[in-house]
Amino acid sequence: MIKVSQLLKTVSTADGDLNILRGIDLEIEPGASAAIVGASGSGKSTLLGLLAGMDVPSGGEIWLDGESLNELDEDQRARLRAEKVGFVFQSFQLLPALTARENVMLPLELAGVSDAEQIAEQFLVEVGLGERLSHYPTTLSGGEQQRVAIARAFARQPRILFADEPTGNLDTRTGERVIELLFELNGRASTTLVLVTHDERLAARCDRCFAMTAGEIVER
Amino acid sequence: MTSGLSWKLLSREWRSGELGILLLALVMAVSVVVGVSSFVSRLQSALLSESARFLAADMVLVSRTPVSDEWVQEAESQGLVTSLGVGFPSMAVADIDHMALVSIKAVSTGYPLRGDLRWSREPYGDVIAEGSIPAVGEVWLAPRLFALLDVSLGDQILVGEAELRVTGAVRGEPDATTAVFGFGPRLLMNVGDIPATGVIQPGSRVEYRLLLGGDRSAVSSFTEWVEPLLGQGQRVDSIDGSQPRINDTLDRAQGFLLLAGSLAVVLAAAAITLASRRFGERHTQYVAILKSLGARSWEISRLYGFSLAVLGAIGTVVGCAVGWAIQAGFIQLLGDLLPVEPGPAGWKPVLIGMVTAAVCMVFFAWPPLRRLGLASPLSVLRADVGIADSQRPQDYLLGGLSIVALMWWYSGSAAVTLAVIAGLSVVMGLGFFAARGLLSGGRRVGGFAGSIWRVALAGLQRRGRANALQMVIFAMAIMLMLLLSVVRSSLIGQWQAQLPIDAPNHFLLNLAPEEKPVLEGFFREQGVATEALYPMTRGRILSVNAEVLPEWREVEGEGVPRQREANFTWSDDLPEGNVLLDGEWWDADDSRAWISLEEGFAQDIGAGLGDRLSLRIGAAELEAQVRSIRKVDWQSMRPNFFVVFPRQVLEQYPGMYMTSFRLLPDQKPVLNQLVSVLPTVTVIELDIVIREMRTVIDQVARALELVLGVILVAGALVLISGVRSSLDARLKESALMRALGARSRLVLGTLWIEFLVLGAMAGGLAAAGTEVAAWALQTRVFEMNWTPTLALWWIGPVTGALIVGTLGVWSCRRVVNTPPVTLLREV
Ligand SMILES: Nc1ncnc2c1ncn2[C@@H]1O[C@H](COP(=O)(O)OP(=O)(O)OP(=O)(O)O)[C@@H](O)[C@H]1O
Ligand SMILES: [Mg+2]
Repeated sequence: MIKVSQLLKTVSTADGDLNILRGIDLEIEPGASAAIVGASGSGKSTLLGLLAGMDVPSGGEIWLDGESLNELDEDQRARLRAEKVGFVFQSFQLLPALTARENVMLPLELAGVSDAEQIAEQFLVEVGLGERLSHYPTTLSGGEQQRVAIARAFARQPRILFADEPTGNLDTRTGERVIELLFELNGRASTTLVLVTHDERLAARCDRCFAMTAGEIVER
Repeated sequence: MTSGLSWKLLSREWRSGELGILLLALVMAVSVVVGVSSFVSRLQSALLSESARFLAADMVLVSRTPVSDEWVQEAESQGLVTSLGVGFPSMAVADIDHMALVSIKAVSTGYPLRGDLRWSREPYGDVIAEGSIPAVGEVWLAPRLFALLDVSLGDQILVGEAELRVTGAVRGEPDATTAVFGFGPRLLMNVGDIPATGVIQPGSRVEYRLLLGGDRSAVSSFTEWVEPLLGQGQRVDSIDGSQPRINDTLDRAQGFLLLAGSLAVVLAAAAITLASRRFGERHTQYVAILKSLGARSWEISRLYGFSLAVLGAIGTVVGCAVGWAIQAGFIQLLGDLLPVEPGPAGWKPVLIGMVTAAVCMVFFAWPPLRRLGLASPLSVLRADVGIADSQRPQDYLLGGLSIVALMWWYSGSAAVTLAVIAGLSVVMGLGFFAARGLLSGGRRVGGFAGSIWRVALAGLQRRGRANALQMVIFAMAIMLMLLLSVVRSSLIGQWQAQLPIDAPNHFLLNLAPEEKPVLEGFFREQGVATEALYPMTRGRILSVNAEVLPEWREVEGEGVPRQREANFTWSDDLPEGNVLLDGEWWDADDSRAWISLEEGFAQDIGAGLGDRLSLRIGAAELEAQVRSIRKVDWQSMRPNFFVVFPRQVLEQYPGMYMTSFRLLPDQKPVLNQLVSVLPTVTVIELDIVIREMRTVIDQVARALELVLGVILVAGALVLISGVRSSLDARLKESALMRALGARSRLVLGTLWIEFLVLGAMAGGLAAAGTEVAAWALQTRVFEMNWTPTLALWWIGPVTGALIVGTLGVWSCRRVVNTPPVTLLREV
């Protein structure tokens, strides 16, 4: 499902080149769940972004569901995302001009799903935001925004779901609810889960766990 | 993405208010352009009818032979009204001792088709302006003819063989300056009496004038029909080119209005660009999220393209409506000031509005948005990944070219377009250097200054590129406003100088040398201000370089050198208001046979510098060599001469004197006494003409002021959108500063400094651009003298700083009036 070989990411900064990822090898089979843990700044978000095809690596290769990302251009990668990939961002990334419901509807609409509204509402209810359907992101708390972002990623029922610290801003109870949701999806639709987390409970529930240190990865 | 989704997104966008700003800019652009251009075209048709007065018709067919009935019928069948007239010089006889050479004008019912015929019962009596003409068997005389012929109301005079009764005095004819038949005073009679006079013989110098009136399309279709049929000695006089003085005024006014319209286009484009850039910047993140959710570039492009198309359509419709309202408001404001009913505006303004909207959308709104499609989804992960730059040089180039094309189309004048472009280029060129200076020098200054200054200058530098762009746009808007004010005041100044309040309004000709003391005594007695007396001798140019010129009636067509008769004068100095084009002026005591010619006159006789001319004055012949060629200001109300000699050369020939003087309205009866004291002199009354010209100029000036007002509003809107363009960044920063503990005084202070510095620099740039554009416009378009407007150099920066400073701080006042948390919460 996900295969990564010798992945490199180098960025040039004012103080010279910075190697963020130094040769990552990884393979995650379909329907599996994987956690990536590691210190802040170790390169977790960078890796996730590359896996989702939102950035291009400096070296190495990524296969997603059998397709080599290197051979796809920006638009083809976008299509791939629209069809198969869901993403929960570390910093939510909701569209301020849209209500919670509309934010969740967006990927459904982009994919041309007909009953986008019901699905969106259903998922918002599932993350406990049934009462906040027409609220704008600015009027929601950080955790509420996080949950809208999760609902948005779930709504499409993607083949692969990437989540960057999905429970980072949530209280224990809501965090647990979200984790339930993630694994329910994983079980029900055999969605491949890739999570970045600092939450040991969450990492423990995953089939596999990877640890990152300074751009390198090892399985635990 | 389906178009249904596009609609949805569009309507959601609309709710967020972002599109509103773009729409507002577009509506402003279209409405100003449509408003100004339809106002201009309505004004133009009004002014055109105003100048029709000087022809007494919309068009005149002038012929040396009677105008054929078929033509008259054709004209009438094309919907034109006609009125036939005849003019020729002849003698009017009261009795053996009293006869005078007169300029006869015979008119028929309907005369004048445009303007008013003014007359009075008694010479210099109260003026009547109601529409009537002398009845068959009656004549109206120029006031001084009453004295010359020693007749009074009710007396009979002879014109040729016809005996006619004097029933009035002609005081003003609309076409006095375009229908001139010889030099004598006017005698107005009815065409019905012409056959009875028996004076029109084959070969006599007669001018038949068929006056035609009707709407513009009928006039031009008849012109097209008749022009190929015109024979020798026949021509068509139309409104353009009929009355040089008024025409000049109108030309310049029109030039000004079109300039104003072009500036509106530029301002509109600037406003749209700013709004669109801001829109684009705000949407970078939006697009990145859409892309991370799987939207493809073309889908993004389609979404925004669709939005723009819908926006463009709405903007055009609303803009046209608002523009129409603006124009209607103008006309309402001007009210009865307008000389005549304003004409129809036609469809051109709407077309211009539509094209303006399209150009604005395609070349100014679209580029920043098109590049949104290229936004990387990565910027969702990292804030520092923006779009490379929202506009590339090609975009600016394309936009610039499209604006030039639009301005050109709109003003119809390459010179106007180029002048404005020159000014704008200076602003942009200097702006580049100013921006660099701002970026490198600011920090050094900041190092010495207090903390407010340091923060402010650091802020200016941090947003260096954005600030540079903002400054150039401010400078452009300020420049366009300054430019229009400068051109307006110099136009009006020149018009006023052309017709100063104390300008002489009467000419006196044919004063014999021995009558000089009599006239001087008379004027002293009456308290009339007079100019110097100019010697005047009538003479004729016979040959150039021993080549004899054909006589006037021997040649047909323009441009063939021919003999010409003119009033000669002598002068020690170059006459006031004349410009030496070629050659030199002579010393006062020079007795050699020099001659100085007016430029057009020299062309008529085919003579150039150094040519030897032979001339006849009375019975004597003399030779003279062309010493200089002069340009004469025919706009001035001074006596002007085609031919000037040194004093010692001309003095020996018998001649008369002429002068000009000024009479106040209540001094008019002085003329009666003057013609009885000096019955042989000719007085030309210009006061009525001058008064009319002044009314026209006043009205035009008022129109210019209104248009200037509109442009100032448009400029202010651009400044506001300019300020708004950096609002987000500033708000965030200021909120952060406050969150970190800065007091509002510091925040406000830095805002003031930033905007004042930006505004002052923009104002300085604008002053430079204005000088360049004003120079080009005044010398190339308006044919006026140019002097640098030094005041600009302080007015520019000061107004720039004040306006931008106030607008800027006012727009950002939210920062200090709301708790910082509110701002930081905004995603
Ligand atoms: N474009 C870039 N330019 C410069 N440095 C970068 C860039 N992208 C990432 N980095 C750096 O690479 C390192 C890894 O970043 P990344 O966001 O992947 O960390 P992370 O493991 O997700 O940390 P956290 O747990 O805090 O979210 C960081 O030190 C970051 O500053
Ligand atoms: Mg991270």
